[in-house]
Amino acid sequence: MVNFTIDQIRGLMDKISNIRNMSVIAHVDHGKSTLTDSLVAKAGIISSAKAGETRFTDTRQDEQDRGITIKSTAISMYFELDAEQLEDVKEKTDGNGFLINLIDSPGHVDFSSEVTAALRVTDGALVVVDTISGVSVQTETVLRQALTEMIKPVVMINKVDRAMLERQLPKEELYQNFRRVVEDVNVNISTFQSEGIMGDLQVYPDAGTVAFGSGLHAWGFTLRQFAVRYAKKFGIDRNRMMKKLWGDNFFNAKTKKWSSKSTDPLNGNNDRGFNMFALEPIYKIFDATMNERKDEAFALADKLEIKITSEERDLNGKLLLKVLMRKFLPAAEALMEMICIHLPSPKVAQKYRCAGLYEGPLDDVCAKGIQECDPKGPLMLYVSKMVPTSDKGRFYAFGRVFSGTAASGMKVRIQGPNYKPGKKDDLFVKSIQRTILMMGRFIESIEDCPAGNILGLVGIDQYLLKSGTLTTEETAYNMRVMKFSVSPVVQVAVEVKNQQDLPKLIEGLKRLSKSDPCVMTLTSESGEHIIAGAGELHLEICLKDLEDDHAQVPIKKGEPVVGYRETVLAESYDNALAKSPNKHNRIFMKAQPLGEELTAAMEEGKITPRDDVKERGRVLVENYEWDPNDARKIWAFEPENNGSNLLVDTTKAVQYLNEVKDHCVNGFRWAAKTGPSAEEPMRGCRFNITDVALHADSIHRGAGQIMPACRRAIYASVLMAQPGLQEPIYLVEIQCPDSAMGGVYSVLNRRRGEVFDEEQRPGTSQMTIKAYLPVNESFGFVTHLRAETSGQAFPQSVFDHWSTMSGTTTEPGKVSEIVKGVRLRKGLKEEMLGLDHYYDKL
Amino acid sequence: MKVVALISGGKDSTYNMMECFKHGHEIVALAHAHPPYNTGKEELDSFLFQTVGSSAVYAIAECMELPFFHKEIRGTAVTQELGYTVTKDDETEDLYALLKEVKEHNPEVGAVSVGAIFSSYQGNRVQHVCDRLGLKMLAYLWHRDQVELLQEMVSNGVEAILIKVAALGLGSEDLGKTLSEMTPKLLKLHEKYGIHPCGEGGEFESFTLDCPLFKKRIVVDKSETITHSEDQVAPVVYLSIKQLHIVPK
Repeated sequence: MVNFTIDQIRGLMDKISNIRNMSVIAHVDHGKSTLTDSLVAKAGIISSAKAGETRFTDTRQDEQDRGITIKSTAISMYFELDAEQLEDVKEKTDGNGFLINLIDSPGHVDFSSEVTAALRVTDGALVVVDTISGVSVQTETVLRQALTEMIKPVVMINKVDRAMLERQLPKEELYQNFRRVVEDVNVNISTFQSEGIMGDLQVYPDAGTVAFGSGLHAWGFTLRQFAVRYAKKFGIDRNRMMKKLWGDNFFNAKTKKWSSKSTDPLNGNNDRGFNMFALEPIYKIFDATMNERKDEAFALADKLEIKITSEERDLNGKLLLKVLMRKFLPAAEALMEMICIHLPSPKVAQKYRCAGLYEGPLDDVCAKGIQECDPKGPLMLYVSKMVPTSDKGRFYAFGRVFSGTAASGMKVRIQGPNYKPGKKDDLFVKSIQRTILMMGRFIESIEDCPAGNILGLVGIDQYLLKSGTLTTEETAYNMRVMKFSVSPVVQVAVEVKNQQDLPKLIEGLKRLSKSDPCVMTLTSESGEHIIAGAGELHLEICLKDLEDDHAQVPIKKGEPVVGYRETVLAESYDNALAKSPNKHNRIFMKAQPLGEELTAAMEEGKITPRDDVKERGRVLVENYEWDPNDARKIWAFEPENNGSNLLVDTTKAVQYLNEVKDHCVNGFRWAAKTGPSAEEPMRGCRFNITDVALHADSIHRGAGQIMPACRRAIYASVLMAQPGLQEPIYLVEIQCPDSAMGGVYSVLNRRRGEVFDEEQRPGTSQMTIKAYLPVNESFGFVTHLRAETSGQAFPQSVFDHWSTMSGTTTEPGKVSEIVKGVRLRKGLKEEMLGLDHYYDKL
Repeated sequence: MKVVALISGGKDSTYNMMECFKHGHEIVALAHAHPPYNTGKEELDSFLFQTVGSSAVYAIAECMELPFFHKEIRGTAVTQELGYTVTKDDETEDLYALLKEVKEHNPEVGAVSVGAIFSSYQGNRVQHVCDRLGLKMLAYLWHRDQVELLQEMVSNGVEAILIKVAALGLGSEDLGKTLSEMTPKLLKLHEKYGIHPCGEGGEFESFTLDCPLFKKRIVVDKSETITHSEDQVAPVVYLSIKQLHIVPK
């Protein structure tokens, strides 16, 4: 039953203070999608009876089959607060109806780029954590992503039913379990939270920012609900009551007094407020229903004012438990209330998010429009991903309006990630055909969409690769490009079974690349088609999509291989010289390693090409011991204008250099994308232009001359600086009973794995092992591990870092063997070209 | 006016002669600076002269049935500034000596035809030499749009082949191809990397086999591809013309 019309929703979209844009994020299998369904059930799109059984948001057949979410899905919902609840909303409100735009995103690490895309368009996040497994590796990853994007978190501790039914945890132990989870979450939040503007983002049960419950059974609560219930009974303020319901606050049933001690020598034991007032009624219901004491259960229901229908009276055991709990503590009520009260509206969020979202000056019209979330401001819309439509090869652009109003038929500037203000690269001016509302499996057309809302766009997919900025303002800068926490480190080569299908494959690869924010498709010089993804599962899904949807032709796939990075291990032993083809221009270059710390800082987006030059210079001087002059003369970050290699001008008083800067940067971009050893991207290198001699006449130092010269100089400087390789390393988290440890260790040992942490979950035999595993050794790891542990060990692998291998590419050894392998695979000559090929004589 | 034409063998010096003719001038002699014969070096990487193909330039004079003056390049680019002042041992002085000799033999010559298009470096030097000799410089191609110019040369019957490539995107496979065959590729590279379609930045050199001013035409019988410097993306390669003959038209 749909209890609102599209017109009503469109009306709500104007009340910006009452909009909540939020993502649901969690570790895989912690129950996000099931929980989301119970929320959707409340908003009335599917009937309450089916919540918990049908995954509304998992729209794909393979998602339903595998039981995991692969693509994120958006749904709009509606919720009304009562007067008392409205009082607790700290920001200004506009009526009591709230529009909640929710995005359910995948939990499996391989798909975390989907999470990034979801976070970008939302302001708040519901972080779902499994009571039993606690904060896991992906919980940490998504939390970090959320905090980087300045997203405010609230927490749902899920699967409480299992803790009670399967583990039979007593109340105090359950409390301690909850406390531990909350603490773990807060440790992560305080680690990753960027300082200042957003205030304290930690979550507190006694502030109402943590919910407990069971998504599967559709029940849940925050302490606010119990506080409201008891505030009336005890006649005290609900907010004071809420504080009593968490932490070391104990109640003595005899004296009816609160105390901070758990024992009272005169009047017997005190009970913890949480256990006595929140857990007690829940435990009673569980106890009565599961032990078939139905009369007691019905009496309890009466006392708790739960109305039961005559049919429900016939239910037994777990089914009765579900009905009673769902009516006693409906999860949707608790969560919707928590979301509306504690997550920010776009109006509030965009004030502090603007600096992180917008690349331009923070006082221009676009920045002002974003800060004010002004529907009358210039249009600023960020497209965070492309969603395939039922029409093959076409996509909806999915994004959010941050300023202005997007309307069907409106003419907009479509700025891709490489667009720079004032230039024409990566820019199209086109009309939006249609604006739509995307709701799970369904879409609905709307005439326009004001600032603060999430929407879909029809008709601009062919002008954007994956993401970009739409605006009506000619001076607008781009919205900041998203930073993904996963890298496409695993590659597979594909070819068609029938040669005549080749054009379809090429078209299919284009579509695949568009539909997935993280996948990379490329064609090597030898004509090999390569798909790169975050992990084996990600690639598997990509290949399936490619074969079934995007290309629709039979495909042969190669063995998965890893991508390497080329780097330098030392500084060039001398200046490398390269001349332009006409021999009238000379470039002298030296390469040196940037250092892992700085490289990582660049990859995490702490040091970027968009930073203020002076400020960035100061950081480099203070934290990375750079020379102050060099620190201000960084020309470029490559590859992709965002990479982890730097081109630095360290020349002294030479002529015309600035006029050829662009050509040098282009040569650098090219070289950084395909290094000299194996044509793999370079990483962590700094290239210093130490001197140049340029032709006095600009006609003789054009791009065709300088670009190849700069590329050549870089290659020569690399070969003079001990060229090395880096391989990608996964962080693997394995959960297993301690009896399976032997098997886990033996598998890790055989695959060059390195255990660095081992922890037992308190009170259980469950172990959590953390190890580093080279991605190259990870193929078939999951199957291998399951086989060696009789299926008891569950691994999650997420790309963690690049590790420099020992040896250089130019000396015989393992590294040069790898280089040969990669070169052969790419159809290059087995032996790499030597220094004399690049180094020019004076 | 009676004109001496500076020729390198390339398309620009040829086309400028055609322009001089069109404007009513009479070409009475051809002048050419060549690399020293005794070193056997064909590519000097000179800042001022095209030297690849030099050994075949005499044939152009034969085709045009005009007197041919030539001088060895002894100097180098000593002054590499944009402007020029008289400098000892600079290659510009070789040009001066060459034109001085022409003037002594043909006192009636009043102007020099030169194929410079955009290189101020070269333009300034020729102008400097002309001023010293009291000659007028005729450079009809000066600052013409290169895309337009390239197409115009082809349609006006300049038949020239590429004899040297030295730019991003060009390779040994392009040597020996005619201008009209190369036009689409050159225009594409112009779009993609901003290379100059007439090769004015030194991207390529050409050699003219025929044009409407020629009374006979040149046929290359034997040539050899020589790699000047190897590179994956911008190799420098040239064609050394070993044997040719002249046929009547």
